Amino acid sequence: MQTKILTGNEALALGALRAGVKVVTGYPGTPSTGALASLLRMDLPGRHIEWSTNEKVALEIAAAAAWAGQRALCTMKMSGVNVAYDSLISIAYSGVNGGLVVYAADDPGVSAGMCEQDTRGFAQMGDMPILEPATVAEAYHLTQVAFELSEMVGAPVFVRLVTALANSHTLVEVEDPWPPAEREPILERDIARYTKAGPAICTNQHRDLIGRLERAGEIIEEMGLNKLRLSNKPGGLGIVAAGIVASYLPEGIKIAAAHGLDPETVSLLEIKASHPFPAGAVRQLLDHCGALLVLEELEPYLERGILIEAQRLGFSGRVIGKLDGPLERVGEYGVGHVVESIAAALDLSLPAELFSGRSTAETLAAGRPITVCAGCPHRGTYMAINKALKKLRLKRDQVMVTGDIGCTILGMNPPFDTIWNEVSMGASIGLAQGYVHAGLGTPVIATIGDSTFFHSGIPGLINAIQHQTPLTMIIMDNGWTAMTGMQVNPGTAESFQGPAGARVDIARIIPALGVEHFFEINPFDLDAATAAIQKALTLPGVKVVLARQECAIQAMRQGKMAGRIWVDSDKCNLCKLCIIMTGCPAIKIGEGTIIIDSDLCYGCGLCAAVCNRDAILEEPIL
Amino acid sequence: MNYDIYLVGVGGQGVLTIAELITRAAVAAGIPANYYPTKGMAQRGGFVKAQVRLGRAVVGPRIPEKGADLAIAMEQSEALKAVRYLKLGGDFVLLGRIWQPTAVMLGKAPYPGREAVKEHIRAAGAAVHFLDPGRVPLLDGRPVPYNVYVLGAAVGKTPLGQVLNPAAVAELIAVRWKRGVEANRLAFQAGLEANKG
Repeated sequence: MQTKILTGNEALALGALRAGVKVVTGYPGTPSTGALASLLRMDLPGRHIEWSTNEKVALEIAAAAAWAGQRALCTMKMSGVNVAYDSLISIAYSGVNGGLVVYAADDPGVSAGMCEQDTRGFAQMGDMPILEPATVAEAYHLTQVAFELSEMVGAPVFVRLVTALANSHTLVEVEDPWPPAEREPILERDIARYTKAGPAICTNQHRDLIGRLERAGEIIEEMGLNKLRLSNKPGGLGIVAAGIVASYLPEGIKIAAAHGLDPETVSLLEIKASHPFPAGAVRQLLDHCGALLVLEELEPYLERGILIEAQRLGFSGRVIGKLDGPLERVGEYGVGHVVESIAAALDLSLPAELFSGRSTAETLAAGRPITVCAGCPHRGTYMAINKALKKLRLKRDQVMVTGDIGCTILGMNPPFDTIWNEVSMGASIGLAQGYVHAGLGTPVIATIGDSTFFHSGIPGLINAIQHQTPLTMIIMDNGWTAMTGMQVNPGTAESFQGPAGARVDIARIIPALGVEHFFEINPFDLDAATAAIQKALTLPGVKVVLARQECAIQAMRQGKMAGRIWVDSDKCNLCKLCIIMTGCPAIKIGEGTIIIDSDLCYGCGLCAAVCNRDAILEEPIL
Repeated sequence: MNYDIYLVGVGGQGVLTIAELITRAAVAAGIPANYYPTKGMAQRGGFVKAQVRLGRAVVGPRIPEKGADLAIAMEQSEALKAVRYLKLGGDFVLLGRIWQPTAVMLGKAPYPGREAVKEHIRAAGAAVHFLDPGRVPLLDGRPVPYNVYVLGAAVGKTPLGQVLNPAAVAELIAVRWKRGVEANRLAFQAGLEANKG
């Protein structure tokens, strides 16, 4: 036993190690990334840990390891569940032999981007148990419980963290990891279990699936995972709090007590496993209380279940939440939600603006749209796209440039304003084809990053080639899965692929697919990059432009520089063209001249390329 | 004693390091602590915040509006984003560094003045502890780390110095980095003594 400061992500990962996990797979996605990343930093003989090409592949690897009897963990952000789900629901139908735990990180309040979706909905649709820790310590313990439960029932089990928990750091007691159990791989040929061929197989599996979920409900109740504390005085308020919301209860109840709440009358049900629905505990609460308050972030899944139980029991009190009450389906919850909803339930009067601070201050803060880093190669690609359109006398509001997930989406912001939309991993290339078929008379461009191309961009490109849909796909290859904090992807340099790994070269994939017009560009060479994109836009059929330069952050960490830049302050007339065109954070305004911040500058030379007074000088290295 | 700290700044300024050091110092002193950083999407140059909650065994990661005993800002404009989290009678340590967004540099967008920022903090009922970045000491011609200076000032000027033992924080800083021990020691000490005399 030792105590450590851990994040929720790290605690979950250590919980899996303590459970003897053998195979860990995942795809990076904020806020889930830290779990698998923390394992990759450790020396863990006898276990296989990898970033996979996408969440579906990751899940299939983990699931087959679990079919073969080993314990496996698969990690992803909530959007990744969409990708993995096609396989996940099928695997849930078949069940598992070794424990299979799927870690999904939801992002209520959206700290990172993408939809505010609630993974508990996927658990309901696939009849999968889902565990929801409230604290970092619970993330450690419930991950171990999830493996136990998975093997007791023979079902994959979700563990769901939210951003505030995944990224919280706190002191936790942890025990030494267990090595993976010595289990001979199971090879079981049973087409009734492992295929989906025909109605008999599928409907039988569906029945078994429902049976496993019921059994999971019984086990969860026997384990006492959901914590019920009934008050000494019946007839009072019952508070149901799911996952992290329970961590706000002690503070919230204390504040409410100062405004008229009698804590002796309050009963609590802290939900750590929301699906299967905790009917037993909810019935006890309904029997004991006069009204129920349901506190759960995002969708009212528990609230709906409680309303059904209330109807069955003939409960005459109110069920307060989102359907009837002040709580919202949007955003993160906090102490304010606890106190204000208790007040609404009990008609307590709170002082005006108890949780409303001076918000007028914030409206004066300078806007700070996120942009690409100093030295980012994507800057050169956006500038080249914009310049190529100008040279072709095309107006920017006439040319569709679809966007994709990752750092490449930053081209949507000033000063580039290049990219129009963002949907999901790999969507840029499909969207581009739809715009072509809609009858646009202007060229259509799709932009995508390297990791996103490997993840889901390839099928869309193959579709465009098959149907010979005229468009230009620009792959911005910086060699890293950068936005999530620099993970290795299939295209990352060989030296980072580990002793047994190999690099997959996009420049070899594109011609092999039969793309006739294939251009490789250096985004730091603005004129040549512009010329190549301009040419591509005038050619028929599918054109692919591969813009290659390593992520500047990673390159600088390896001690590399693209060049050396200095300013001839006699020539600079502070026209600010370099700032207007590049928006580079390394350029600052000094006394009568611009200044280059040498700590930030990577020497990409794009500022020198746009200066029309030769005031910025460049000596390239790369 | 419960003590909640809301920190804001721009990515790359070391805001999260201040929060991490406070958390480590608290944990070393046996005080329960939860530290929740929010980085958003930006590697550098974007808005960054951190919430540190000290003293409660079970605590949610988020500080409610009007709940923070102390706010710390490393950038003059970003400071405004912490104001609504300040408790009446709280403390605000404000480093007056200016990190201009591009639109401000180009003269296309306004940037809040120092007095306006201070005025908003006072109007929220908190005490302003303003730190002039020009008074951060130099070592070998370069300013010592601003974030460690700001942490020193927070320990020296607010009740954080009673929650945490200043000597223990100094000791933690001395072992946190392999390089720049002297610069960090100087930064923390200068922060502790900032605005005196």
